[in-house]
Amino acid sequence: MTRPRHFVLYAALGTVLAVALMVLFFVGPRWLTSTPPVTPGSAPTAADVRKIRARLFFVNADGTGLSTVEQEVTHGEGTVEQARHIIDAQLAAPAPPLASAIPPGTRLRTVYLTARGEAYIDVTSELQTNHPGGTTNEILTVYALVSALTSNLPAVTGVQILIDGKEVDTLAGHLDLRRPIEADAQWVPQQ
Amino acid sequence: MTHVGCAAALLLVAAGISGQAPNPGGPLTVLSRDGRRPLPTTDVQGHQMVGLDDLATLFHLQIHEDLAARAVTATYKSQTIVLTPDQSLVSASGRLVSLPAPLTRQGRRWLVPVEFINRALAPIYDTPLELRAASRLVIVGDLRVPRIAVQYDESPASLRVTFEITPRATAVVTQDQGRLLVRVDADTLDASLPAAPTQQGLLTGIRAAEPDTIQMDLGPRFASYRASPPVSRGAAALLTVELLGTAPDASAAPAVPTSPTPATPLPVFSGETRPTIRTIVIDPGHGGEDTGVRGPGGALEKVVTLSVARRVKAVIESGLGMRVLLTHQNDNRIDGDSRAALANNNKADLFISIHANGSPRPDTRGGTIFTLGLDRVGEDARRQSQADREVIQIFGGGTRDFSLVEWELAQAAHLDGSHAFAGILDGKLRTTAGLPAVSLKRAPMRNLAGVNMPAVLIEIGYLSNPEEEQLLTSLEFQGRIATAVSEAVVAFRDYLEQGPQVPTPPSEPAAP
Repeated sequence: MTRPRHFVLYAALGTVLAVALMVLFFVGPRWLTSTPPVTPGSAPTAADVRKIRARLFFVNADGTGLSTVEQEVTHGEGTVEQARHIIDAQLAAPAPPLASAIPPGTRLRTVYLTARGEAYIDVTSELQTNHPGGTTNEILTVYALVSALTSNLPAVTGVQILIDGKEVDTLAGHLDLRRPIEADAQWVPQQ
Repeated sequence: MTHVGCAAALLLVAAGISGQAPNPGGPLTVLSRDGRRPLPTTDVQGHQMVGLDDLATLFHLQIHEDLAARAVTATYKSQTIVLTPDQSLVSASGRLVSLPAPLTRQGRRWLVPVEFINRALAPIYDTPLELRAASRLVIVGDLRVPRIAVQYDESPASLRVTFEITPRATAVVTQDQGRLLVRVDADTLDASLPAAPTQQGLLTGIRAAEPDTIQMDLGPRFASYRASPPVSRGAAALLTVELLGTAPDASAAPAVPTSPTPATPLPVFSGETRPTIRTIVIDPGHGGEDTGVRGPGGALEKVVTLSVARRVKAVIESGLGMRVLLTHQNDNRIDGDSRAALANNNKADLFISIHANGSPRPDTRGGTIFTLGLDRVGEDARRQSQADREVIQIFGGGTRDFSLVEWELAQAAHLDGSHAFAGILDGKLRTTAGLPAVSLKRAPMRNLAGVNMPAVLIEIGYLSNPEEEQLLTSLEFQGRIATAVSEAVVAFRDYLEQGPQVPTPPSEPAAP
């Protein structure tokens, strides 16, 4: 009689141990990871965002060139990140009386930079679909973007505009956008 | 340039003169602001090879041999080129580059083909490197070392010497006692000087006198000379010096034009200047769903440009008897390449694109004439196309330049003509058409780039300006524009027929 009793006792103990192990392996980890992670320091506040002074380009008074305006732009780590912030600022609608040469609704998709210093700005199709046309309008739009990068980032030697990730012939039928365009001082006359 | 550099350049030019058939085993010359250094070459199975150790010394490379990985690396600053023994493919900063011969071991040295310099090293180097294999020259940095090719064209009474300077540089011709000096605005010259024809007694020799100067030694029959200002042909400038002789001495042998030797190619037919204008292509801007600018009153650019283009065609055809083609007759869309192709395929002599402008400011007014502007990238591409140029023999004798000019660079060869026409048109638009203001601009215009003839794009006013919108849609104003264009065509035809390359004789009669 003694042996069967011991057997039952051992079987009960084994079952309890197996259940305890299952709880430990399957439930334990989830319970452990649900603990909020401990993060050193506090979240950055608006005051902590570093800024730089960057030259941006807007339509000048006679409507045939660009004028330069210095504005604060978010600091970016590295040339590509900085280029992204500068183009974001250039695409944003300016406060009056400044007039932008960028068609409304245009957003930046991404920026690439080659080892040769050619920057590729990939923007949304509004740059083309909302463009008013005309050579001067097209020149001002293109050279505002080109000048924004070349005048602030010495590493950038030329800028090619992509629309929705694709190369385009022109923006409005005039300027050749099949290659990177360099800054041209004739469109940014001295003020 | 330093004295060392000058001396080096002298040697370089001297090497260029005898370089008609360069010794294939001779060293390359590495030319930089610091002077000139030889880079020995070795012939391996017909390939010119240079030692990696020599390259390391000249270009500050770190060479590392990894026997385990069977690789040799050449590191410059943070960039690395990986070579594999007996392999022609190398990796330059991650980019695969093909070489004409593999990395080869010779004793303790590793040898690579000379093309390693421009194909693998140049892309990772922080200073421009240019290998000129034909001249056995490696140019480091931004030195101005134009190639100078010389051609002779003999006639009984004169000898014309044409200097082709690539890339373009200005040059001045002066006479100094018994010699003529051609001084080129350059650091040094990459000169290929074939032997001068001496039979006429006008020229006894030609050689490099200074790093930037070529000297022509004058013969006993020389009387005077005419030098034309350099004209552009593609990326090159052509400077022509015509040596004029005294009456031939009765006792002297008659001056018989000699056949050019193979080393003295016939003058290359330029084809740039045209004696007259026979065909004009007028390109109405936009069309179809591409409406162009819409004026505040609703006028569409595509309608205005087509109307003006039809008027220009009518005025020129009826008044001047020239053939005028429109890139599109009706309101339909046509791409930039098709516009250029129509003009090129019809061998037109002039291309005029007509547009109406738009500005963010409603009071912006006036006309603009655009010609093609080439940026650095365009200039580089054009220079590259010139570097790839080949001279081939043509049927019937002589040679002809063949250059793999990119389609979009065709206009580059005609910019002088385009600028001349733009200047003439500027005046006519002000006077005949009465445009209040006209400006001349250069920009990378898509529809001008591929046009293989003088070409301009005219903005005849701002459709975004309410007053100019009314003007641009008036038939009377459109007629004035057509007349102004027609008058400009006549003036440009006269300019061409009189010859834009008329020499300005600076010659002082010289004692023979």
